[in-house]
Amino acid sequence: MLKYFTDIFETVKTLLTGLGITWRHMLKIKKDNVTLQYPEERWPRPERNIGFDLSGYNVVRTKLNVDIDDCIGCLKCARACPVDCIKIETIKAENRGEDMPQIKHLGLTSNGTRKAMVITRFTIDMSECCYCNLCTYPCPEDCIYMVGGPNSEKHIIDYEYSEYDRRNLIYQFAKKISAEQKENLQKSLNKPKVPA
Amino acid sequence: MTIDLLMDNISGFLKVPALAFILAGLICGITLFLVIALNALIAVYAERKVSAFMQDRVGPMGQGVGLHAGKWGVLQTIADAIKLLSKEDTIPALADRKLFIIAPFVIFITAFLGLAAVPFNQHIQIIDINIGIFYILAVGSMGIVGLVMAGWASNNKWSLYGAMRSAAQIISYEIPAGLSIISAVMLAGTLNLQEIIHFQAGTIWGIFPNWIIFNNPFSFLAFFVFFISGIAETNRTPFDIPEAESELVAGFHTEYSGMRWAFFFLSEYANVLVVSALTVICFLGGWQSPFSGWLNSPAWGLFWFLSKVIILVFLMMWIRWTFPRLRVDQLMYVCWKVFIPLALLNIFGVGLWSLIAG
Amino acid sequence: MVLNIGPQHPSTHGVLRLKVRTDGEVVSEITPYLGYLHRCFEKHCENITYEQVIPYTDRCDYIASMNNNFGFVVAMEELMEIKVPERVEYIRVIMAELNRIASHLLALGTFGLDVGAFTPFLYMFRDRERILDMFEMVCGARLLYNYMWVGGLSHDIPSNFEQICSGFLDYFEPKILEYNELLRDNKIFVERTADVGVMPADVAVSYGVSGPNLRGSGVNWDVRRDESYSIYDRFEFEIPLGQGQVGSLGDCWDRYWVRISEISESIKIIRQALKGLPAGDIGQALPKKIRPPQGSIYRRTESPRGDLGYYIISDGKPKPFRLKMRSPAFASLSVLDEISRGWMISDVIAILGSLDIVLGEIDR
Repeated sequence: MLKYFTDIFETVKTLLTGLGITWRHMLKIKKDNVTLQYPEERWPRPERNIGFDLSGYNVVRTKLNVDIDDCIGCLKCARACPVDCIKIETIKAENRGEDMPQIKHLGLTSNGTRKAMVITRFTIDMSECCYCNLCTYPCPEDCIYMVGGPNSEKHIIDYEYSEYDRRNLIYQFAKKISAEQKENLQKSLNKPKVPA
Repeated sequence: MTIDLLMDNISGFLKVPALAFILAGLICGITLFLVIALNALIAVYAERKVSAFMQDRVGPMGQGVGLHAGKWGVLQTIADAIKLLSKEDTIPALADRKLFIIAPFVIFITAFLGLAAVPFNQHIQIIDINIGIFYILAVGSMGIVGLVMAGWASNNKWSLYGAMRSAAQIISYEIPAGLSIISAVMLAGTLNLQEIIHFQAGTIWGIFPNWIIFNNPFSFLAFFVFFISGIAETNRTPFDIPEAESELVAGFHTEYSGMRWAFFFLSEYANVLVVSALTVICFLGGWQSPFSGWLNSPAWGLFWFLSKVIILVFLMMWIRWTFPRLRVDQLMYVCWKVFIPLALLNIFGVGLWSLIAG
Repeated sequence: MVLNIGPQHPSTHGVLRLKVRTDGEVVSEITPYLGYLHRCFEKHCENITYEQVIPYTDRCDYIASMNNNFGFVVAMEELMEIKVPERVEYIRVIMAELNRIASHLLALGTFGLDVGAFTPFLYMFRDRERILDMFEMVCGARLLYNYMWVGGLSHDIPSNFEQICSGFLDYFEPKILEYNELLRDNKIFVERTADVGVMPADVAVSYGVSGPNLRGSGVNWDVRRDESYSIYDRFEFEIPLGQGQVGSLGDCWDRYWVRISEISESIKIIRQALKGLPAGDIGQALPKKIRPPQGSIYRRTESPRGDLGYYIISDGKPKPFRLKMRSPAFASLSVLDEISRGWMISDVIAILGSLDIVLGEIDR
């Protein structure tokens, strides 16, 4: 019998405590509010002070981007990808490390490496990407990276690259090469080498 | 503006009494419908805002350009209503079509009828009947027919569970609600709503308003018993087991969509209004001013009445967004083992009190 | 009546289907049907290299990805006999414990939601969000981190991390009191959870239940202490055990209590780890190529859901020959039928919420 009354008392007491908490939250809404009005306000990017200056250091996982002029076509990123969303096709360049203006092939990367390959296809299907960042580490030229991060004055952060069609999420990074130019490249490669 | 007054006025220029009766009824009905719709519109918005503020959110907002919901999201419920109106009306293939179609209207009509007897101030009352309390309680408990209809006709196990639970719940909670309102009726000595309010005029010791809640300690308890039973009757958390979303998906209205679902919604909020109004009338002095004799004109009466109702509706929302939900058997336990004994005790106490004090 | 809960239901925590045989409201039999989220994790791992397995472990228990990474790298390091730098160990412990807090917050919040309390759920998500912000600051991702690598980490923590982390802990500690007032002490919550779904210790052990669910039944077992891995033996923390304060031992309330106390213990560990965090390079022990010697290893770690075990067989190639993951939530789900017979449908939902299952891990 006593338990019956203590139970009722307990109930009233604990329920009033609960009501008090929600009441306090309601009065302090101006201070406590955590909602962002999305299109007008953006969520703040976490302040990350990495403590040193390193251009290759990338900690934001957003959209993959490739500086195709620096790509040497080594396929390391494609091999590192767990979901195979990077597809690269290359043709051996006839003149190693020399500029080919007709297909806008620069002979050298910005690091000074000679480019032996002409990249005819470099697509990243961002609808398949799992944002694991594994492709960015093995790149010898630091040319594939996630957009954004502390190193990115040139790369604006881009979280919301939404599209109406998923085919638009397949990004082509290789420079346009016409079929004729491609054929010429392949032909020149098959040419029997003239002994010096 | 009782319906009789309106009828007299109309009969003045329209000589056919039957026609005048129909016309007066129509005017009252449409007004009431608008009141219910407006109530739902405001209450849904308020519910969203209150819940949002309690949960450190801001609720519907609209700033900037584009298709936003107005400043502070005030147009949100209107947008919702338009969405519901334009939605496809789906009826499950295996549902009992006739019952499925009528059920929302049955529930709506009961809420509608209940509101007809509520006095908003000294004059605004559609119909002033001398058994007002009895009428509202009777009509309110009719709503269960619609719920069971909806649950059964949907031919869905969740709906059936919801309907069965709500049948048990609403019928059980009728008893403490009815018993605790008897305490008020005993003090006022009448079932007429206006007369109960008139009984609460004046002050106690010149300070407190002479409301029934302050009349004696037992009627103070009766107020809480009635109000909590009222929450249970309107199926709101912590007593929302018929539509418990985490258990029964949506309970009896799982299969409803579009405008039919909106009718359930309208009637839920109309029920909230009726229960709050009844509590205000029976325990908080109806349209009486809290400062006796001051600002007691009909216009102020409407203001006092509505502000009291709004406070109670807010209390309901506050409770809803704080507590977990009870289980079916615990709900029954609270009803039969706590509230009914308490309500009986209240009747006894109030009787004793009025015998000694009066 | 046979009732079909799920796969689309508000409180199945993913895509779980329960076939419930009921007598009125009382449940007489439950059959869980799994596999709606099956992604062939184990078979898939045989076709990818060890580095590429780590992002897949993220996706098993997506609520506590750091702990999954942790379990895998600990097993791999033991197989390859790598000694990782001190700093890496400390950072790993901090991250794993932060993620344990985040995971428990989600578990308790949805548990509250299952019994009908909406507000604590959002409070807990608000605080979980701050932990996720810290993870984003550290590794750039909010949910699927791929942060711990075999022999190291993908990034060092930023130089202002310690300050932000301890700031968060100071903010967070008083909030636990608030959750407790809203849920633990609330009489309606107590009524809904105390004495409900009692899991006796012998049942829990025989089903292989582990983690907070096991400790809720009063069994004193925590892999962090009893089979210490990484540097957990350096920290002082207690293992909260269910005592049946309001009901009987091993009920839903005890599981709630164990989780909320574990949050406090995790805070203790993080504070100690932040204090002892040494300086140094994190990349020293990163192997050039991950090619473990022939052999096999089974290593278990304490994830927020229990003993998370990885069994790896290596044949000396860069891809695992076989990889088996022991999922703690799977065992927790198997016990559901046993402990919820005779209770009502509402209780089944509450018990399911208290067991804290993650379907991504059960189906793998």
